[in-house]
Amino acid sequence: MNLFQLILKQMRQRALSTWLTLLSVVLGVALATAIMLIRRESEKLFGQTDYGYDIIIGAKASPLQLVLNTVYHIDRSPGNIPYKLYPQMLRGGEFFPMVRIAVPVATGDSYKGQRIIGTLPKLFGFEDDGVTPLPADRVLEYRPGRKFEFSAGRVFHGKKFEAVIGSEITARTGLKLGDKFKATHGTAPGAAPDEHDEEWTVVGVLKPTRTAADRVIYISLESFYAIGGHADALQQQAAIRLGANPLDVTRPPATKPADPHDHDHEPPATQQGSDHDDHDHGHAHNDHDHEDHAGHDHGPATTPAADAHDHHDHGDDHGHHHGAYELNPDGTINVTLPQDTLALSAILVQTRGAIFNQQLIYTFMNRDTAAAVNPAGVMREFFGTFLDPTTKAWQAVAMMVNLVAIVAILVSIYNSVSARMRDIAILRALGATRARILTLICAEAGLIGLIGGAAGLLFGHAIAAVGSQYLEASIGESLRWWMVSADEWLYLLAVTVVAVLAGLVPALKAYRSPVAENLVSV
Amino acid sequence: MSLRLVNLRKDFVAPDGSVVHVVNVRSFELQTGEQVALIGASGSGKTTLLHLIAGILTPDSGSVLLAPGQSGPTADGAVDLTKLSEANRDVFRGRHIGYIFQTHHLLASFTALENVLLGMSFTGRPADANWARHLLDEVGLSARLHYKPEKLSVGQQQRVAVARALANRPSLVLADEPTGALDTENAQQVLDLIRKLCAEVNASLLLVSHDLNIARQLPRVVDLRELNTR
Repeated sequence: MNLFQLILKQMRQRALSTWLTLLSVVLGVALATAIMLIRRESEKLFGQTDYGYDIIIGAKASPLQLVLNTVYHIDRSPGNIPYKLYPQMLRGGEFFPMVRIAVPVATGDSYKGQRIIGTLPKLFGFEDDGVTPLPADRVLEYRPGRKFEFSAGRVFHGKKFEAVIGSEITARTGLKLGDKFKATHGTAPGAAPDEHDEEWTVVGVLKPTRTAADRVIYISLESFYAIGGHADALQQQAAIRLGANPLDVTRPPATKPADPHDHDHEPPATQQGSDHDDHDHGHAHNDHDHEDHAGHDHGPATTPAADAHDHHDHGDDHGHHHGAYELNPDGTINVTLPQDTLALSAILVQTRGAIFNQQLIYTFMNRDTAAAVNPAGVMREFFGTFLDPTTKAWQAVAMMVNLVAIVAILVSIYNSVSARMRDIAILRALGATRARILTLICAEAGLIGLIGGAAGLLFGHAIAAVGSQYLEASIGESLRWWMVSADEWLYLLAVTVVAVLAGLVPALKAYRSPVAENLVSV
Repeated sequence: MSLRLVNLRKDFVAPDGSVVHVVNVRSFELQTGEQVALIGASGSGKTTLLHLIAGILTPDSGSVLLAPGQSGPTADGAVDLTKLSEANRDVFRGRHIGYIFQTHHLLASFTALENVLLGMSFTGRPADANWARHLLDEVGLSARLHYKPEKLSVGQQQRVAVARALANRPSLVLADEPTGALDTENAQQVLDLIRKLCAEVNASLLLVSHDLNIARQLPRVVDLRELNTR
């Protein structure tokens, strides 16, 4: 009969006590493991501080919300900013001296729970035609030294209903190169389907970036604005900005069915056209003479919005009208909305240096239209003031629970030893040395620590798996709950060692016990 | 194994501070394979003497000389148990001495077979399950191998204890009132088994009993009062 069999016998002899002790260890370790895992994954999800851009221009609201929404594609958008800020970042614009690269983004729709972002081909290093590459130093990096690359296909045309998908989109939605899809209104996962009429074709797949961008569907800003429902909302917003009664603006028009969309998400932004980068070239539809808009159906004509904005004077030779855009014979589109109604969710900016970074933040600090935030600073602050202390507090709680579990091991085995003094004396009489008895009891404590720790590790990961499902359902992000880090193995080792040390107390009691007395006393 | 005690002395301090000479044996010998009964009144120090011989207790003075095989206790190669470290005494006891207690002292969570195997666990040698089964068969418990003590009668429990004491084929068996808790019939059966098995493995037997009917069945009877010099 070996040592292990002896230990198992002892544990089975007092099964209830053993199980309860094990349970306390399992719960303590599970709690600590889940917290370690969530902290690790939170850092992965939100702890990025090395961004390829150093400023995000967005609505004057919570900087954290702006960063979470823009970088991590979670949380609701804090609001929109006027599109006209973007041209001011380009050559000749007010902010151009401070800005090296600027890329506008607009959010609001999704496909099977995955966020759709309207942007320009320049985000991926191309001119609006989707063919001409930009100079390398004019391409935005999503992380220092890392630019978007394609694993298949190409970038979308800036004026077509084309899309580029992140590396995880195929796995998450089934979309692949060449597929067509319709956008769903809003971004909330699990929301009732509310499809737009427009249809996009997937023309490119990005290589993995290990960022939230892997879970995004990118479409051209022009096509984003072309979505009929967006046009309505934009015009309503524009009307409100011009002083119209919000209730009147959002009331369904008498001559046309109301837009079925609720549009409670951020109103879509609109693009100005080919002033998509810091090259100073205009865009056709901005140069339109908006005068007679009455005959067009790209907006609810009976609402104040229709009266508020400038009217287009599109001739039939432009192509076919489809709500907020014209379809040209070559398949490209021209959005027919006036620039004043256009909005963006954010502008990603790489400044010309640290001093310009601060200057830009300061400049926007004193303006009402938008805010400029440094994403790295915001996330550092978020970790420093919220996430880090919170997880540390939870870790402290977990450590306390562990301490209780270790004390439980000590008490359980101490009581067991006290009750088994006769058995121990018998073992001694049969030839077991003091060291053997000491080893036996410490090994029993260690085994409880090891089994409880391993089960707790599994349980902790199971908790994280459930949490991951919840996160995925609520914000579209998941945890790598199956990954066991080196820290966790070390932690398991520590639990086992501490359990052995806890076993030393009763073991020493047994070690010192006089054999003859315990044999005679029964 | 032969045994020789020389000037063996063990004192205890009573609660009132006085010193009680529990064991004070000037000389005692037990030859290889010899079976001796040690009698004495209750409290006369019989159990203490067995503990001293087994190395469970250490004497205040004197020697416990044990010689393996046929050589006498004073011959070269005899081991003075009192000179060994505690750990070595434990190992020596496990390998060479079988101990039968008045009450069986079986481990409750172990079956009859496991209790016998347990007796083999601390010798540093591989356990011999076949020998354990043979012993249990010899004591009439081949059908109760996997019974835990609580499922056995007192007599059966003591027979398991006898088998356990013989598990390592000891050279010396110390039996401390092995029949004290048994009725006459069971007592006789257990005594016969002890004697038979000791003879089978050629072990010397020192059996402590206060029952003269039991003691007189052994070839030699020693009265501890005569042995002890107080």
